[in-house]
Amino acid sequence: MPDQTQERPRERAAVPPALAGRSLSKGFAGVLALDAVDLTIEAGEVHALLGENGSGKSTLIKLLSGYHRAEGSTEVHVGGASMTLGSPRSSHALGCRFVHQDLGLVDAATIADNLCLGAGFPLRWGTIRARELRRRARGDLARVGVELDPARLVGELTPAMKTGIAVARALASHGGDPVKLLVLDEPTATLPDDEVNDLLGIVERVAASGVGVLYVTHRIDEVFRIADNVTVLRDGRKVTTRPTASLDRRELINLLVGSEFDETQAASEALAPSAADALLHVETLDAGPVRAASFEVAAGEVVGIAGITGSGRETILGALFGANPREAGTVLVGEQPVPAARPAAAMEVGVAYLPPDRPKLGALMELSARENLSLADLRPFWRRMRLQRRAEASETRAWFDRLSIRPLDGSERRLATFSGGNQQKLLFAKWLRRRPRVFLLDEPTQGVDIAAKRELHRQLLLAAADGAAVVVSSSDIDELAVLCHRVLVLRDGRIVANLTGDRVSVDRIARECLNASGKVIAA
Amino acid sequence: MSAAHGSRRPLQRTSRRTLNFGFDRFSGLYLWALFILVFGIWVPNAFLTTDTLHSVASSQAISAMVALAVLAPLAAGVYDLSVGATANLTAIVVAVLQAHHHSIGTAIAVAIATGVAVGVINGFLVVKLQISSFIATLGMATVLAAVQSIVSGQQQPAPPTASSWLNLTQSTVGGFQVVVVYLVVLAVIFWWVLAHTPAGRYIDAVGANAEAARLSGVSVGKWRWLSLVCSGAISGLAGVLYCSLNGPSLTFGTALLLPAYAAVFLGSTQLKPGRFNVWGTLIAVYVLATGVQGLQFVTGVQWLNDMFNGVALLAAVAFAGWRQRKSLSRRFRRSTGRSDEPDATPTEPDQSPSGAATSQVASR
Ligand SMILES: Nc1ncnc2c1ncn2[C@@H]1O[C@H](COP(=O)(O)OP(=O)(O)OP(=O)(O)O)[C@@H](O)[C@H]1O
Ligand SMILES: [Mg+2]
Repeated sequence: MPDQTQERPRERAAVPPALAGRSLSKGFAGVLALDAVDLTIEAGEVHALLGENGSGKSTLIKLLSGYHRAEGSTEVHVGGASMTLGSPRSSHALGCRFVHQDLGLVDAATIADNLCLGAGFPLRWGTIRARELRRRARGDLARVGVELDPARLVGELTPAMKTGIAVARALASHGGDPVKLLVLDEPTATLPDDEVNDLLGIVERVAASGVGVLYVTHRIDEVFRIADNVTVLRDGRKVTTRPTASLDRRELINLLVGSEFDETQAASEALAPSAADALLHVETLDAGPVRAASFEVAAGEVVGIAGITGSGRETILGALFGANPREAGTVLVGEQPVPAARPAAAMEVGVAYLPPDRPKLGALMELSARENLSLADLRPFWRRMRLQRRAEASETRAWFDRLSIRPLDGSERRLATFSGGNQQKLLFAKWLRRRPRVFLLDEPTQGVDIAAKRELHRQLLLAAADGAAVVVSSSDIDELAVLCHRVLVLRDGRIVANLTGDRVSVDRIARECLNASGKVIAA
Repeated sequence: MSAAHGSRRPLQRTSRRTLNFGFDRFSGLYLWALFILVFGIWVPNAFLTTDTLHSVASSQAISAMVALAVLAPLAAGVYDLSVGATANLTAIVVAVLQAHHHSIGTAIAVAIATGVAVGVINGFLVVKLQISSFIATLGMATVLAAVQSIVSGQQQPAPPTASSWLNLTQSTVGGFQVVVVYLVVLAVIFWWVLAHTPAGRYIDAVGANAEAARLSGVSVGKWRWLSLVCSGAISGLAGVLYCSLNGPSLTFGTALLLPAYAAVFLGSTQLKPGRFNVWGTLIAVYVLATGVQGLQFVTGVQWLNDMFNGVALLAAVAFAGWRQRKSLSRRFRRSTGRSDEPDATPTEPDQSPSGAATSQVASR
């Protein structure tokens, strides 16, 4: 098929397209991150935008939102009306709504306040009407199927719940300008599968109501589930736009990667766990929702943690490392105890922890990539009374090569200027370079493209082969199934299953996560 | 459609680039040159003299030290608003002790220890009791004013007159009063610590995103505390040197605070934009001082100093904030490409845990 646009025939020819973008372009420091991309989305269409890390997806979206100002001959029409480029107000007034990769919620405010920050508060005589505020908030939450008390602080929520709030907020119009275009930038990067279904349901409903949806994701399955058309970007240029029905999975992946890509993973079976003694011991751990969790992980073993939102999956690793508080229980690495709530002490005994919430807990956005990478261990660079910046830079460059972090020469750039997936890879490298004995990872491959994901998995298995005990908590069950020797399933804060061997399968893990009844076992 | 589908092509640099020098990271140096040029032509006989050079250098040395004192806590994301009061207290302490016939050495040691103690208490309030640094150090400043009244009995102590005491700051080295040398030494040490040691890196990390720093194994509390102790110690030293230079005044402290912040915030737009830094701060101190000095030769009115420093502080903070926001309000932007260069890019508003230097601190 020629690389030409073959969009779905327009059903309602009278309705102008939700989005008609012509020659979308944007440069940074003289390099085009987005190079003359055309994109049309009809009203009611779900349009998937795909591409490797750093291919320009978020840049395109920020162009539509008025955050970035476009270059040259860029033109954007929304619902037939021309948009003033670089003006968030114009974008909003024309009915564009966004859920960004960094959700942009105010942690210190309640859910209800967050929902109304964009659309405006219900007022009487200039005072916020509290009851009306809560009522609206509940309505907004109901639309996305999230059941939470609107009075709770957003900061207390898990990443998955926060995504729900951000979508609800984007859709909350409260009688203002009608929504024409909903844009979602990797909304499912950290959502567990059951919630992905809910989200996709919401997206379909939104589209059915006549809103055009632009949907960015790295998860190929989702594309086939909801998208009418797919646009693939590579290096800031459009590779193609195709109806989803005309593609199969393999074809799409090849378009994405730009060459034949063999999807078979470096599976964990290839690396049988050594019969080594347990390295990480967790005994009767209580932390947040987690109750009396006990398990052990041997050196060379990769153990997965699965569970739905609120099951304790999001809390348990942070509690082991000391990122969040521990109420009871002991954690040992070999013979050495890992004290509660003291990350520095945990690192001292060889524990590393990649946190789930990148912008808040992982990244130092204003510091350079080099400074982010070296922060967790500066000792090797402290020589002759100063930090040897050149050695630091060359080690950074080596990691850029190894995990293909792009741009390759970006070690002095602020982390904020990297694409989401590349930030994630850099933080991965930050911990990998410490050669941890116990490596705890929360949502390790969030926002990372398929090729890079395979590389990160390979690096994890290499670390395990080197004698590390690896524990991965992930909302992505496929990831757990390919990567792990063993999967612990959490439900209502308790470990309810310890799956090994053949039982480490997507079906089985998913079933255990949801199963309402099951006996508690100690691993 | 205009795109040439080759490899990623560089953008045409527009002529705006060269017109942008005013907001460049060396704008302070340009401004300095401009001041010297303007006043050099306007009042050449008064302005273009080595006397002016020496007097500006030494009269600003104390201000510059206080600016360095607030630099460390700011880099770590906390305010120290007690620096002026600390300096004033130690100046009185060192004078009163000498008036009571203690040796110069003892007097200086006690005075500086006082500054350190203030920093330790500030650190306790901020780190252990978790009081917002703004409130804690403001409260501390008020308490110190009271302590100063107790120590001095609300009477200006007699200025110590021992020649070794006066020589401490007033002897000259190559025409400059020796206090300028102290400043340079201090600045070099600061620069080394902040830019070339792990300590400096940790302090920057704490200021950039405290929680992420903690999860990288950095003890946030320790570095904040140390930075406050350091600012207390430097303020203490500055107070002692002020007393040796100008005699014990009961009120000079308050006047030091605002110019220090003006200099540090202005400095954060220089050399390493978005980061508090030593040389940027010193440039800011001396650019402002040069401007004030020149204007004083021209008009000689009293209010110049305050006006200049106040306006400079507001302009610096507004500019640093604007730099962040400009991606949202595009009115000011006319050119393409240029302002998105890595070092000039504003933080996205929705990535709020970190931000350019001002907002980090302002939000606490
Ligand atoms: N503010 C910025 N300053 C400089 N370069 C930037 C900036 N923002 C993005 N870039 C660059 O533009 C390119 C495209 O980035 P973008 O964030 O659009 O990628 P993406 O397709 O969203 O990738 P990901 O899947 O990793 O999120 C990258 O090379 C990135 O480094
Ligand atoms: Mg992105």
